[in-house]
Order: sequence, then structure tokens, then C-alpha cells
Amino acid sequence: MITLLTGISSSAAALTAERIRMEVISQNIANANTTRGLDGKPYQRQHVVFETALRQQQGGAGSFGSPQAVQVSRIESDNRPPRLIPDPSNPGAMQAVPDVNIHEEMADYITASRSFEANLAVVKNARAMAMQTLTIGK
Amino acid sequence: MNPISAIRQFVMPEARPAAVVKAMSDSTVAGAVPFNELQKLGPGALQQPFSSQPAGGSFGDLLGQMVNEVGAKQTAAGDAIGGVLSGQGVPLHQAMIAMQEASVSFQLMVEVRNKLLESYQELMRMQI
Amino acid sequence: MINALFNQPNYLATKKMLDATVLRQEAITSNIANLETPNYKRLDVAPSFSSDLRQAIASKNPTQIENLRPHLIVDSAAFSPKRDGNTVQLEDEMLHLNQNFVEHSLETQLVSASLSRLRMAITGRSG
Repeated sequence: MITLLTGISSSAAALTAERIRMEVISQNIANANTTRGLDGKPYQRQHVVFETALRQQQGGAGSFGSPQAVQVSRIESDNRPPRLIPDPSNPGAMQAVPDVNIHEEMADYITASRSFEANLAVVKNARAMAMQTLTIGK
Repeated sequence: MNPISAIRQFVMPEARPAAVVKAMSDSTVAGAVPFNELQKLGPGALQQPFSSQPAGGSFGDLLGQMVNEVGAKQTAAGDAIGGVLSGQGVPLHQAMIAMQEASVSFQLMVEVRNKLLESYQELMRMQI
Repeated sequence: MINALFNQPNYLATKKMLDATVLRQEAITSNIANLETPNYKRLDVAPSFSSDLRQAIASKNPTQIENLRPHLIVDSAAFSPKRDGNTVQLEDEMLHLNQNFVEHSLETQLVSASLSRLRMAITGRSG
């Protein structure tokens, strides 16, 4: 396949990774108050783990100095224990609710969104540069 | 060396006798060689024909060399474009530049051919 | 003698700079893609390239210019304010992205201008 936009696969990988992260965050926020999930326990917050996959570059120098593509290696459950709050229906007893902090989730969401926008800008830029290259000699 | 002098050097190999060049540069009127200066040079100086052999070989050899070089440029351009299209990672700008250089080289060769043809035809038209 | 047409130092240097600009574009792409990757160190074109190129231009030696090859290295001057060891700063990378785009524009126009000057010298016509 012709690759006229160099590095486009790295950007595509980053866009996918950030999108997955935003989906996981949305899921966390949606389930912030789920006290009883399918397994009977409160919802366990999840997060994504990023890792780099080395991209093959022609004439590349090896592991250092080569462009790298990011990918989501796994979506794993947090091991934070559920919070305990007073049970509204049972005075005196405590209820376990998911340890999802909305502020933290929103901050992560904004970071992911910013990274997503930046990678989109890179793709746009690559296209503009390729179009410029095609005008050489005209 | 700017492109114009490169082309001039190629088309008109260094065949002017040095004495004539010096005389031309010494004259007070730009481009004109005063008659008395020519006389000073003596009768032998202008006998050298302008088509004297330059050090590198005959004009035909030069032409052959040029054709080979133009061919090499075309091949290089073709290889570069092939590299881009087959996904071998040739950068697009290198392929574009190679294409344009091949095109310019080819144009040069065509213009040289046109000029040679023109001068040949003019020669043939001359009344003896 | 065809090669003599294209062997001028300025033209060769512009082509080399274009190579470096395209390479830097790849580095910036990788940097922004790995904005959130733990322990990723930002990449850039080796700084020795610009000093080597300046030297080669000053020496007016076409072979020396032609033999230069820009390459990417890990930017050792970048420090990491983040806890996960990532040295990419988004604002800096966006600045580099825009700057690189303008440099690319300049260099393609310079190359095009050289080529059209050659064409005009050859054919006597522009375009």
C-alpha cells in the first residue's frame, strides 16, 4: 500500500488508544453509583494501560530514535477498594459504593480529548504537507 | 557555476584562442575588437578554427555522454516513483524532485537537438 | 554534464534540508502520538545535522553536502515534568509542528524555483 502520509499509522494508533480511553472513562462515570453489579458487588473502576509497539522504520537506528506507535495493551480493573458511605436505607450500617471520583475522571477525559485533538491536527498537517510536496516543479 | 554558464560551457566548448579573448577584453568598446589589435596578433592567431578539439573529446562524444546521463536520470525517476507506489518507503518529495530533474534534463537534450537541427538546416540553405 | 546542472551547493543544500524537514515531521508525529505513553522520550533530528550542513555549505563542496544524512535521535535536552517519565510537552510539539510546516513550504518553493529557473534558461520560456 502506498504510504504518502508518513507516520500516519502512529497517529491512527494514538487516536484509537485515546478513543478507547474516553470510552472507559465514560463507562466509569456512568457506573459511578452502581452499588450492585452483575456479580453482586459494587462496580469496580477500570483504567487503560498504554504501551508502545515499535514501528518498523526503513533505515531506522534501532530501538532508540525510531518512531513508535502507541497501543492500548489492556483495560484492567482498578484494585481500589470500594468506598464506604452511610447506608440511607439502613441507619447505622455502611454501604459500599464504587470508588469513582468524578473530578478525576473528568480530568482524565479532558486530557484524553486534548491528545485526540492534537493527533487530529497532526494528520491534517501531514496531508497539507503532502499536497505541498505534490506541487514541486509546477 | 550558475545554470546559464553551465549550459554555455557545454554547448560551446572552450575553443576561443586565448589571444583573441584577451584582445576582446582589452578593447575600450565592449564586445568590439579594434582592427589594430587584431593586426598585432599576427596572421597566425586567427587561423585556429573555432571547432578545435577540446581536451575532453569530440562533440559527438559529448552528445553521447549527455544522452546517457539523461537516460540515467529517467531511470532514477522511474525507480523513485516505483518505490513510492509499491510502498517501499521512498519519500514522496524525493520522487517528485527526481521526476522534475529528469524532465528538465530531457528538455535540455531536446533543445540542444533543436538547435543542432536548426544550424544544420541553416548551413544547408547557405549559397555557396 | 547533466549532473553539473544539478550539482550546485545551494540546490543540494535545499534538498537536504527538505529531507531533514520530512524526517522531523515523522519525529513530531511520533512524539504527539506518544503524549501519554509512560517513559517515552521525545525524538528529534540530530542537532549535529544543522552544524554539519552549515559547514558543508561554507565549503561549497557538492559531494560533502550530498553525503550528509539526517537521522533521528532521542532528544537528551528534553526534561520531564511528568511523573511517568514522558518528556513530550504538547505546546512545544504543536509549535514545532507549525514551524516545520512553514519550513517545508519554504523548501519546496525554493526547490521549485531552482527547477523553473533551469527550465527558463533552457527553453527561454517560463512555465
